[in-house]
Amino acid sequence: MHKQNMILRHKLFDRICHWFVVAAGLVTFLTGFAFFFPSFQWLGSIAGTPQMARFVHPIAGLLMCLPLMLMLVRYYHHNKWEKNDLTWMLAIKDVMFENEDKIPAIGHYNPGQKVLFRTFVVTSIGLTITGFMMWQPYFAPHFAAITIQWAILIHAICAVIMLIFVIVHFWMATWVEGSVAGMLYGYVSRAWCKKHHPNMLNDPELKTNKQEKH
Amino acid sequence: MSAQDIILSSGTSELTPAAQVRRKLSKVAKLFDATKCSGCKACQVSCSEWNDLRAPVGSFQGSYQNPMDLSSECWTLMKYNEIEQDNKLRWNFTHSACMHCADPACLTACSTKGAIVQRANGVVDFESDKCTGCGYCVSACPFNVPRLDPIDQKAYKCSMCSDRLQVGQEPACVKSCVTGALKYGTREDMLFIADLRIKELHKQGFTKAGLYSPEGVGGTGMMMILHDVSQPENYGLPADPKTSVPVKLWQDVVKPLGTAGILATVAVACLHRITVGRNIVEEDEPAAFDHTHSDKSDKE
Repeated sequence: MHKQNMILRHKLFDRICHWFVVAAGLVTFLTGFAFFFPSFQWLGSIAGTPQMARFVHPIAGLLMCLPLMLMLVRYYHHNKWEKNDLTWMLAIKDVMFENEDKIPAIGHYNPGQKVLFRTFVVTSIGLTITGFMMWQPYFAPHFAAITIQWAILIHAICAVIMLIFVIVHFWMATWVEGSVAGMLYGYVSRAWCKKHHPNMLNDPELKTNKQEKH
Repeated sequence: MSAQDIILSSGTSELTPAAQVRRKLSKVAKLFDATKCSGCKACQVSCSEWNDLRAPVGSFQGSYQNPMDLSSECWTLMKYNEIEQDNKLRWNFTHSACMHCADPACLTACSTKGAIVQRANGVVDFESDKCTGCGYCVSACPFNVPRLDPIDQKAYKCSMCSDRLQVGQEPACVKSCVTGALKYGTREDMLFIADLRIKELHKQGFTKAGLYSPEGVGGTGMMMILHDVSQPENYGLPADPKTSVPVKLWQDVVKPLGTAGILATVAVACLHRITVGRNIVEEDEPAAFDHTHSDKSDKE
């Protein structure tokens, strides 16, 4: 952290948002797992009792999805599809096997991260809408039984897709060392940028802790 | 009730079946004969008496039916279906309560292990202390029977007086029926009685009379003799009730596929970590520490 010339990758607000989503998401997924796999009801015990898990799940879910919408606004410009992205996607094998000289240069986010981010946004919108439709006792009574049944199905599909992408997110973040520290404290080293997100260094708004010293 | 009397339990699969050696016990059934019913509501009252249920007193809604719908505190309701035929008004009485399906959609949809069970005698019962109030059974039931209680948020419905059945008695509603429209016994006996009665009705001129025990739910533990079985809608009953497509897709496709997808992702991730190894950045700058304690600002 006190190394010179560290580069700011995630601002404080975004970091707080991210870890808030992680905390709320942990509760949401564990309690949700309890309903999806009744044999694993004990996972929902994080909320206390099964009845409490049922009560907490939709609230924790909203706390997970709403900050994600804030992050969508904050990170929108980083997640636009660029021309270079297709070549990167086609070189995904080299990315996974660390054939560094063959990986096309990319900016703040690589296309894989963009797909991941977009999936989180789409699934969380799906989860929020269907979640409201099946939310007992407040909102579900306003919907027809068959509508609720489809909502439950779509809710489960969205949750499974989101969980798979969460696993990929966790896997990549822990594999590419320095990423977690970047999300925790905001800064990554210049060498890290050069290796993983070289075009980030061309960003005119690039901030380092040196420049930040007023 | 003996735990060994539970042959089907919600939240379990073929891999973890409920104790079911006593599944060959005779199935019981309630037979409601709409052609004999006079709409006296004795069944409704005795249900509320025996089960200690007191639904709030409602207001007049232009019908003899009261309350207008089943609720967590009304498990049996005498429905006064008003049908107009040949410019004449007719009442189609329906003894409305749980149908005790052989293949219960509520049990399939339930999110909690053991909150909905099927007993060896075929009765579908709710274990309310285990209910979490998710409402999946409420939306899944093709007969719209289970209801969430507004106070404790648990689902309730007719238990066919399983406490009475346990000690060899008939359900309270059957006990109090004055016209013999409600009968109780083994399902086999009820089918036999129904068959005789329907033949008699055919002779009397009710050529469309028949037994309502829909196959879509595997047959029901409450069967009904209707004047015109080709139009169950006239009795407020669904024509083809069954476990719906989304509930089946959710349980039989999304759950196994989702599980496989999640496990496969974890497996690939672990394998990748072990084979490709760590992804470390070689720092090209000397690890010089800035002792000036830069007051970097990352707050934007």
